[in-house]
Order: sequence, then structure tokens, then C-alpha cells
Amino acid sequence: MVLISLVREYIGRMLQDISGMKVLILDSETVNIVSVAYSQSELLQKEVFLVELVDSMSKESMVHMKTIYFLRPTSENIQNLRHHLANPRFGEYHLFFSNALKASQIQVLADADEHEVVQQVQEFFADFCAIDPFHFTLNLHINHMYMLPAVVDPPSSQSFCDRIVDGIAAVFLALKRRPVIRYQRTSDVAKRIAQETAKLMYEQESGLFDFRRTETSPLLLVIDRRDDPVTPLLTQWTYQAMVHELIGINDNKVDLRNIGIGTVPQEQQEVVLSSEQDTFFKANIYENFGDLGMNIKKMVDDFQQIAKSNQNIQTIDDMAKFVNNYPEYRKMHGNVSKHVTMVTEMSKIVEERKLMLVSQTEQDLACNGGQVAAYEAVNNLLNIESVSDVDCLRLVMLYALRYEKEGPVQLMQLFNKLASRSAKYKSGLVQFLLKQAGIDKRTGDLYGNRDLLNIARNMARGLKGVENVYTQHQPLLFQSMENIIKGRLRDIDYPFIGNHFQQGRPQEVVVFIVGGTTYEEARIVALHNTANSGTRFMLGGSVVLNSKRFLKDLEEAQKIARSSNAF
Amino acid sequence: MATRNRTPIYRKYRDALRNVRLPDSSLPSSSSAGGGGRSGGPVIEMVNASFLRQDRSYVPLSTEDPSNAYKAKHPKSNISSTCRRNGALTFGLPPAWVDISEEISVSMQSARTKISQLVKAHAKALMPSFGDGRDDEHMIEILTQEITDLLKKSERRLHKLSTNDPSEDSTVRKNVQRSLATDLQKLSMDLRKHQSSYLKRLRQQKEGSDNVDLEMNLNGGSRSRIEDEDFDDVIVNALMTFSSSHLLPFGSYGRELVVESVNDLAQIMKDLSVLVIDQGTIIDRIDYNVQNVATSVEDGYKQLQKSSDFLINYSRLKILWVLRPSSAKFRHLVNILAVVTQVLWIGRP
Repeated sequence: MVLISLVREYIGRMLQDISGMKVLILDSETVNIVSVAYSQSELLQKEVFLVELVDSMSKESMVHMKTIYFLRPTSENIQNLRHHLANPRFGEYHLFFSNALKASQIQVLADADEHEVVQQVQEFFADFCAIDPFHFTLNLHINHMYMLPAVVDPPSSQSFCDRIVDGIAAVFLALKRRPVIRYQRTSDVAKRIAQETAKLMYEQESGLFDFRRTETSPLLLVIDRRDDPVTPLLTQWTYQAMVHELIGINDNKVDLRNIGIGTVPQEQQEVVLSSEQDTFFKANIYENFGDLGMNIKKMVDDFQQIAKSNQNIQTIDDMAKFVNNYPEYRKMHGNVSKHVTMVTEMSKIVEERKLMLVSQTEQDLACNGGQVAAYEAVNNLLNIESVSDVDCLRLVMLYALRYEKEGPVQLMQLFNKLASRSAKYKSGLVQFLLKQAGIDKRTGDLYGNRDLLNIARNMARGLKGVENVYTQHQPLLFQSMENIIKGRLRDIDYPFIGNHFQQGRPQEVVVFIVGGTTYEEARIVALHNTANSGTRFMLGGSVVLNSKRFLKDLEEAQKIARSSNAF
Repeated sequence: MATRNRTPIYRKYRDALRNVRLPDSSLPSSSSAGGGGRSGGPVIEMVNASFLRQDRSYVPLSTEDPSNAYKAKHPKSNISSTCRRNGALTFGLPPAWVDISEEISVSMQSARTKISQLVKAHAKALMPSFGDGRDDEHMIEILTQEITDLLKKSERRLHKLSTNDPSEDSTVRKNVQRSLATDLQKLSMDLRKHQSSYLKRLRQQKEGSDNVDLEMNLNGGSRSRIEDEDFDDVIVNALMTFSSSHLLPFGSYGRELVVESVNDLAQIMKDLSVLVIDQGTIIDRIDYNVQNVATSVEDGYKQLQKSSDFLINYSRLKILWVLRPSSAKFRHLVNILAVVTQVLWIGRP
């Protein structure tokens, strides 16, 4: 079963056994978990007539209603709940937690429940945001923590790791599996998370994870974003990834007010992009921009056909037909205008920022060799006024990651040029990136030039030519997935935790990227799963990155690292 | 999909702590805050709410013992009432509007039963028989009218759920209203579907023997046969036949009436879509609704106004009902009219 249906089933089970009018109380995280998987109209069907946040100050008494709490077991939530139970507003209390409760937390709640209003206390492990069938995120606000050594800020670092361990554990509980665990050797944070997850699954809660064994154990691979810093820096050209890169997707919602355009009609300012509810989006989620444009045009044509027949209402006959088709028509109208708005706005941005030009160089930097030509290209782009500062920064970063060792002089020149162009982005940020994710820190063969086979493959690709220059990049994850399927993932680079080893080819693999996933990676995972090779992958991360978020985290980490060095 | 039930351990802690607490130190004797002022009574379960479930086929009150039905559906209710031994918290009486929603659910339930009776009656009427089938037709007529009345009644009550004070209770009311409206809409669609299939089959049966020309066009120009399977054509054509032959004494007025009612139909479809949540839009997002509690209350008020506008439109159509023809031939046209009334009726939020 895939991630969204798992969460949906948890929610369904929470609601179905409790009859009568219900209030659902969520916290700031579970509201997202529930929102991406369930809709308001579905809640109404289940007689949930009010949804509230646990920290809302509402005092209105509604003793005729039953309340369902679905909360993460955090100490703030327990405190809030304690107050709620001491002064009950509702008739019955059904408590559901998204993860394992500590015995002490249960005690605190039982102590507060003097009126004995609590009917049940359950753990339902929907502790991850299932944004797509094979892609989940944890929406961690303090995502930059992955770049900092634990000693800099031990409490934050601990809560960062705890949340990830909770999220991963919940995914496997939902799947009813206990995996073997591997991690990327060069990353301390990946190692720590892998170890803590193993401790939880095999020691602390071994009873909870004691599921019926499958023939081959599933695999959990914990890797670090810094092993592939290239993917989040690239301009994207497939629908979902592109929307996130240019406008921003937040739990399947797109806020078009983000890009500050006044032309967007009122009802389209905030839209939902969910592959579960929108068939056009589902069909085009991984299409590249060119094909998407064609498909949108076709959709608009179809729609115009219908609209025309609707306009042409002369007989009562037409009218009756119109009335009958109206709901469908209205729905289609909303959807068409949503996608048209989106694509129009994106084309504007592409045009404005000269992204076609920029992206070509980016792809060259990421996929093809040729340092001299690359330097020329980047240098030229830095001279163009209309190329935005952030795009220049991305270009220099991509150049630096690729030719870190080969051309220190040219790199310095680019640094200086960047610094003179923009006061905002000091070249220190590029150096910080190299310190974080430079060649010495990376495990994987990011540019495919360590392995003879890959070199040969790249050469062959260069000879054949590529179909689309803008989408030739394959994330490092693609190679890792191939290695997993073929059993070639090297033990030295990706060691196992404890003495649980992989036997045979795993059928289920969860790859967790500490520091965040990208929609480009989610795409290759989804495409792989549709091709159905026998191994099913799921991808999860602490956030879903676009270049903006990646750079923001980098800046944040740099700031903290600087100030901690000062002491 | 693993789950873990922590209720037993919770109960254990709670029971242990109860014994530690002083018997009546912190137990407020009437903690039924705001519970309608009826404290100290036995635990009152929410009976009404169970009616609201559309996916649960509730046993109608008229045909079976309600208490049994209730118990069967709510095995937990007894447990929940007994587990509050000390009676510290009574389940408060719901606000008055809950009674309204309950009434609506009850009438919707009986409409649902009647629809299934109607389906049977339809099947019977379509069977070949030696009689003239008058009884069957009469039965269908009565049932259709009863259902329509029930739905109309529920619909009218639905308006009473609207409120304009910005409280959480009003959000709840608004959501209950939405949910009931969705159910009601589904019910009317059901009815419509059954009637359309009945009429279609009726027409097929009669096609050979009865050569009544049902073809008429509004503009009198191009004639379109009603043979295409679209039910709406049937309605419309029937309506027009009806209007042209039976409203003839009223002259052009009658025809206008029909045009207007279909016009209303279009308007209603628009109004309806305001109330029923469009799936896949931002309005259907749970997080959006949490943020927008205040605004949605405002919307509710707007809808209330809209619906009162519609009441005026609706009264026009009633004229068609008054003009019910007595001839048996047009009996099924009456049914068709009932369908139209249905369609009109759904639209009223």
C-alpha cells in the first residue's frame, strides 16, 4: 500500500468507530499530515463538523459533541491536552497520537482526566506528510541543522534527529515492516539517525516492530543531502518540480501570491496541486514543460468546445443539457484556469530570468565535462544584466562543485565577479558550500567519473546526443537505486547497522535524505515504481527542497557556524 | 498499518489515581458547563447524530422498533454511559438547532425508504398486466408527491440552521448544513435517476402502441425526436407538450412559465455549487478551513440571503403543480414535473 492510502486509512479508522457529531483537534504538524491526505468534504461525511488547533484559545462549551484529538506526542501537546482535560468542553474525548507515547505522558494525562472524559488512548502512526504516493516529507523547520555538527547546538540537533527517527519509524509501522538499515558513511548525521532508528526498532520498541517476517527484509537507506548538492541547485523543467522551483509548493498547495503578481484572479490565488484529486495534474506531473504546454493547449481546446456549446443556449433543450452538465463544467473550468494560470506565470518567470539560457549551462555543468567551455559560459552569463543574482549564485556554485580542484584560479575569478555583482550573496556562501559538500565530503560518484563504467556510459551519452538538453541530468539517487536493485551498493560506503544484513534483493526500500528531497528525485522514484521492476522505492526527507530553500538553509547554517566559531 | 491501543494502561493509571484523590475534593458536582441547564440527569447520548450518516442505512422509525435499531447501531453507547460511574460529567443537551438537523435526518430517512418503495412500484408498473395499471400509477403518483414533500420540508428546515453570530457553534451549524445539503442532493439525484429510468422504460413500452406525438420544440421550428437517450430531453419535451396542450388556456403565459422555470434551474445549479464543496479546490482543504473559520461564517450568511432569494423563484414553479392534469395519459408527466421540482429544490441551500 502506498503512503497516502496508509494515512487515509489511519484517519478513516479514527473517525469511523465514533458515532455522532465530532470535533477534530489537530496540532500544527498533524493538520498538514491530515490535510494532504483527507479533504474537508470527506470529514463532513464522517460527521466531523469542526476542526480546531490544539493551541487555539477557544472556550466555547460543546458538551453535545465528541472530540477526537490527533496529535504528535510532544510535551507542548501533552501540556495543552492536560488543560483541556481539566476543563472539559466536549462530551467525550478520544485521544489519538501519531507516535509512541512515553509511559510518563500517559500518566500525566490520566492524572489530568479527573472528570474521566477520556474514552480511549491510541497510537496511530501517521507521523509523516504523504504528499505523493511514494514521497513523504517531515516539514522540519530547523532543516539547516543537518549541516551543523551536533556540538554546535545539542538540543536542536537532538530534536532534529528525534523528529526524523519518529517519522521513519512511523513509515515502517504503517507499512508493518522492520527494515535492515544502511547509511552513508561520510555523514555523521545520517549515521546518527540510522543508529537511533535501529535502537528504537530493535531495542526500545522491539515488540512494536515485531511483524511477520517477509522473505527478504525491506531496506532503509539514510543518506545526506550534501552527497548530492547539485540536484537542488538545478532549474527544473518537469511540471511539479518546476512549480516548486519557480513558485513554491507547500504541502501540495501553491500560493500564487508568493510571486507577487496582481493579475491572478481572486479564486486562483491559492490552489491545490494534488495528484490524488486532479487528474490533469496526475497525468502531467512528470511531463516536461514543452509537452505540458501541448497538453494544456489540448485541455483548453476541449474546454472551449464545451464552453461554446454552453454559450449557445437557444432552446430549452440546450438549457437542460447545460444544467445537467453544470457541476462538471464548473469543475473543469476551475481546473483549466488553475493550470493555465500556473503555466502562464511560469513562462513569464522563465522569460524574465532567462532561464532557458541559464539552465543549458547548468545542465552542462552537471552532466558534461569541459572545464574551459564551462568557465566561459558561466563567465558570460555573469555579464548579462537580466540574469538574476540568485541564478548567478547557483551557476557559480555548480561550477565550484564540479571544478573545485581543477581550476582554483578560475574559481577565484568567478567568486570575485559574483561578489562585485551582488552585495547580498558574498562568495563566502560558495566556499561554505564547498566545505559542506565538497568533493572530500561526498561518498557517491556525483559526476560519474570515478567508475570506469560510468565514464564509458557518459561518453556514450555524449556521442549519442541527448533528447532534451534541459532535462538530461539524472540525480545521484538514480544511480544509488540502480546499485540497490543490482546489489552493488558498496558496504564500505553504505555500511549496515548492527548485524542485520541484506539477503537477496529487497522488495521495499525507503530512502531517507537528511536535509531534504527534491521533486526531481521524487519523479525518478515514481517513474521507477510505475515501471515495476520488483523493487519498490519510497522517498522521504526532512523537507522538500527547491533551490531557494536549499540556499536559505545553507545561509542559516553558515550564520550559526560563524557565530559559534566566534566563541 | 500498525496501531497500538494504550487505553488499558491509561485506564489503569486513571483508576489508580482516582483512589488517591479525595472523594469529592475536585469533582465539581455540576461540571456540565453550559449543558442546557439540565445537570445531574443520566447520561444523554447523541441519538440525533447517527441520522446524519449518509453511508449508514438507518432503520426507519416507522417500521421497526427504534430502540433496538439504535442499540444495534451503537453498541458502544451503553459502555460509554457506564464507564462514567461517578456521573461527574453528563453529556449535555445539544443546542436547539440539533433538533432541526435531527428532524431533517429523519425526514430524509423516510424519503429514502419511500424512494425504495417507489422503485418497487416502478418495477411493478412496468410489468405487463391485464389491468389498466391505474392503481400502480396512482401509487407512484402518491409516493412521488410524498417524497417531494419530504424533501421540500427538509430543505426548508435546512435554512433554519443558518446563523450569523461568529462563534464556533455557528461553524458547526454551517458544516452540518453543508453535510445535510450534500446528502439531500444525493438523495434527489437518486430519485431523479430512478424516475428517469422508469420513464425511459415506460416510453419504450409504449412506443409501439401509443403514438402520441411528444415532439415539440420551443421555437416550433426544427423538430428533434426525443429518441436520443438523454433524459433531460424527455423532461423538456414533456414539459413543453404539457405546457402547450394543458396550459393552452393560459396562452403564452404558460410557455413563459416553463422557460422561466428552466432558467431558474440554471440559476439553481449555480447556487448549489456554492454550497456543496468543490473537490480538489483550496476550499476543500482541511487546513484552509481551520484558518478560515471567521470568513466561512460570513459566507454562511451570504448563502442564507441567496436561499431566500430562491424561495421566490420556487413559488413560481408551484403553479405547475396546481395545474395537475387529471387525464391518466398525463400522469407520468406529473411525475416528470416532480423531477423538475426536485432539481429546483436541490438548489436551495
